[in-house]
Amino acid sequence: MDGTGLPLSRRQVASLLAGGATLAAAGAHAQARGTVTFIGWSAAVDQVRAHITAFERATGIRVNYENFPWAQFRTALVTRLVGNAPIDVSWVSDAWLPEFAEAGWLADINDIPDLMRYNAEAAAYCTQSMTYRGRQYGLAYYGDHMSFMVNTDILRRAGISAPPTTWDEVIEQSLRIKQQNISEFPLLLSLAADTWLIEFVSALTFSFGGRFVDDAGAAVMQDANRGAVRAAAFLRDAIHRHRVLSPGAVETGEINGLRAFGTGAHAFAIVPTYRIRALNDPSQSPAAGNIRIALMPRGGPQGTNETCGWIRFYGMTPGAKNDRARRANAVRFMEFFGGRDTEGNYSLQRLLLTDLGLPFCTTPLASDPAVQEFWTRWAGGGEVIAQQSALARKKDVISPWFGEWVETSNQVWQAVCLNRAEPAAAMQTAATRWTALQRAFR
Amino acid sequence: MSRWFGYDQRSAAILVFPVVAVLLAVAAFPILYSFWISLHDIVLTRPLRRPFVWFENYGRVFEDPRFWVAVWRTTVYTVVTVVVTTILAVLVALLLNETFPGQRVLSALLLLPWATPSVVNGLMWKWIYDPNYGLLNGLLLQAGLIERYRVWLGDPDLTLLLVANAATWKQMPLAALLLIVTMKAIPDDLYRAAKVDGATVFQRFVHITLPALRPGLMLVLVYETMLSIRHFDLFLIMTQGGPDDATFVMSWLVYVETFRSLRFGTGAAMAYILAMATFLLSWAFIRFLGKRL
Repeated sequence: MDGTGLPLSRRQVASLLAGGATLAAAGAHAQARGTVTFIGWSAAVDQVRAHITAFERATGIRVNYENFPWAQFRTALVTRLVGNAPIDVSWVSDAWLPEFAEAGWLADINDIPDLMRYNAEAAAYCTQSMTYRGRQYGLAYYGDHMSFMVNTDILRRAGISAPPTTWDEVIEQSLRIKQQNISEFPLLLSLAADTWLIEFVSALTFSFGGRFVDDAGAAVMQDANRGAVRAAAFLRDAIHRHRVLSPGAVETGEINGLRAFGTGAHAFAIVPTYRIRALNDPSQSPAAGNIRIALMPRGGPQGTNETCGWIRFYGMTPGAKNDRARRANAVRFMEFFGGRDTEGNYSLQRLLLTDLGLPFCTTPLASDPAVQEFWTRWAGGGEVIAQQSALARKKDVISPWFGEWVETSNQVWQAVCLNRAEPAAAMQTAATRWTALQRAFR
Repeated sequence: MSRWFGYDQRSAAILVFPVVAVLLAVAAFPILYSFWISLHDIVLTRPLRRPFVWFENYGRVFEDPRFWVAVWRTTVYTVVTVVVTTILAVLVALLLNETFPGQRVLSALLLLPWATPSVVNGLMWKWIYDPNYGLLNGLLLQAGLIERYRVWLGDPDLTLLLVANAATWKQMPLAALLLIVTMKAIPDDLYRAAKVDGATVFQRFVHITLPALRPGLMLVLVYETMLSIRHFDLFLIMTQGGPDDATFVMSWLVYVETFRSLRFGTGAAMAYILAMATFLLSWAFIRFLGKRL
């Protein structure tokens, strides 16, 4: 107070005004560069934040980053998209692509050459997984597949010289391990009714030479010869007849399965490949150093070494694409994260692999010395992984009604595992639901 | 308006208006809007198509076999939870109504489960039931009651009861507290007179305590029923409706239909059916049982 009745002196007011003007100018500058609103699930948060800082520094574009747990992510994203929340870029699962594209929540990038040029350096499988009805909807965040992992220490102790190549051999070796009291349940599968279950059962079904739907999209999962019935029967027998797989599998989620396998109490497991780093890290896993990847065993007379693969990608919303300024920023963001950074490097992809084990879709990185060192250090080499990767297939049930159908699918697989339903009848239930949803969609 | 209302009434109306407006916005509007949604075939993944279907969604719900599974599971869960909670609450209230050393400490401890957040409660019981390192398996094995660790939440015949147990653990303290408050209001003279007349402990309970507990019991029954019939958090955390459909209760069905299948129309219809069932049950308790208790 200076006696003028104002709480501040004229000089103070002038300085505040000057400061305000500077802030406003800075704000206007930031406004000119703009912002990108990006949402993802709560994974690789530290790596993403670090890359966001690098992006902001390199481009001057500010990033509003939000993340939600994976289990709730689809619902959180959908409700925001329906509510026209100002999202520019989001992580998207390949499983959601058809329904998101049909709903008009994702914009295709076919007319954005700055992004499409990365197809020349991406694995074809990844590009196909981001394509729906001939339009491509993003750039890859990472691509992975289910791997068959073995605990070599248990195999050595049981006198087993080579990992199994068929599911019959898995049972046979498991029984030997069980008889020697090395492990009560040598086989470990995570069969809780969560978002991972379809990937686990798809891997198993593909390895039995089966499919859920044919090329025309008609359900064949109920077919005893070319469907998922054999895989379902294998699970039931593994739990209830041979007792090499714990009945607790039905309440074991992916993360708990990982932890359980890491304890060294199990000889065989189906695990996402990217978990190999955690499993062989002594600070995270007592079984570290003993976990190796073998080719997916073949099942039954039509068995193959195929497995289930998936990708997650950066997708742009139509709101961002249709606004010139937002589109420009979103494209730069997607390129920086899903393509090369401003230095011309695939730095995030390399970081995600070396820090977390997340495999990439980018072919030039395969010969990167840091990448090769990673596979040698954590997986004993990358040959089998490359072989398995080439045999990975995307889930054939990806469709606009996948989100609804998978609820029924999860339930019937659990019913089989609990021996409450015959495999053929259970798959028939899933097939009937598939056909009904397919008809309703038309 | 001035002909109908005096100054005081007008002032009161003006002062109350903001609260009423907020209530209308946050309570009445969502209720009416969700009813409006239940009359449309809204599937979020098909945003351009939302036809008005009158009560067709309600018809679809009744034709859905999952609905009847959920009704049965909800009924079993509610009956078990309410009955066990009420019986335990009466016993605990009787105990804590007595004077003995440590009674105050025990009363304070009683409130702990009630004060525990629902999510923490769910996680705690999930760990207790864990097939690999759970406390329950450890205790039973050490006591020689089981030969090997059991997969408690993987057993479809047991899961619903195990979730009900977790719910009872959390809900019982409040019910006991309500009953203790009611018991404290019973005059000691009645018990003294009954003793003089030679009434046994059981007779005193049946003829004095129980009739005097009517209002408290009514409150507990209505409250616990409303809570159990709509229970969701424990199912989300502990079982996700499984294994198979063993814990597929109504609230889980509403969640799956609305937030997983993204069918908001039928999801809203299911939620309305659940709300109506809760309301009717509560009304029936008050209308019919209220007279007898």
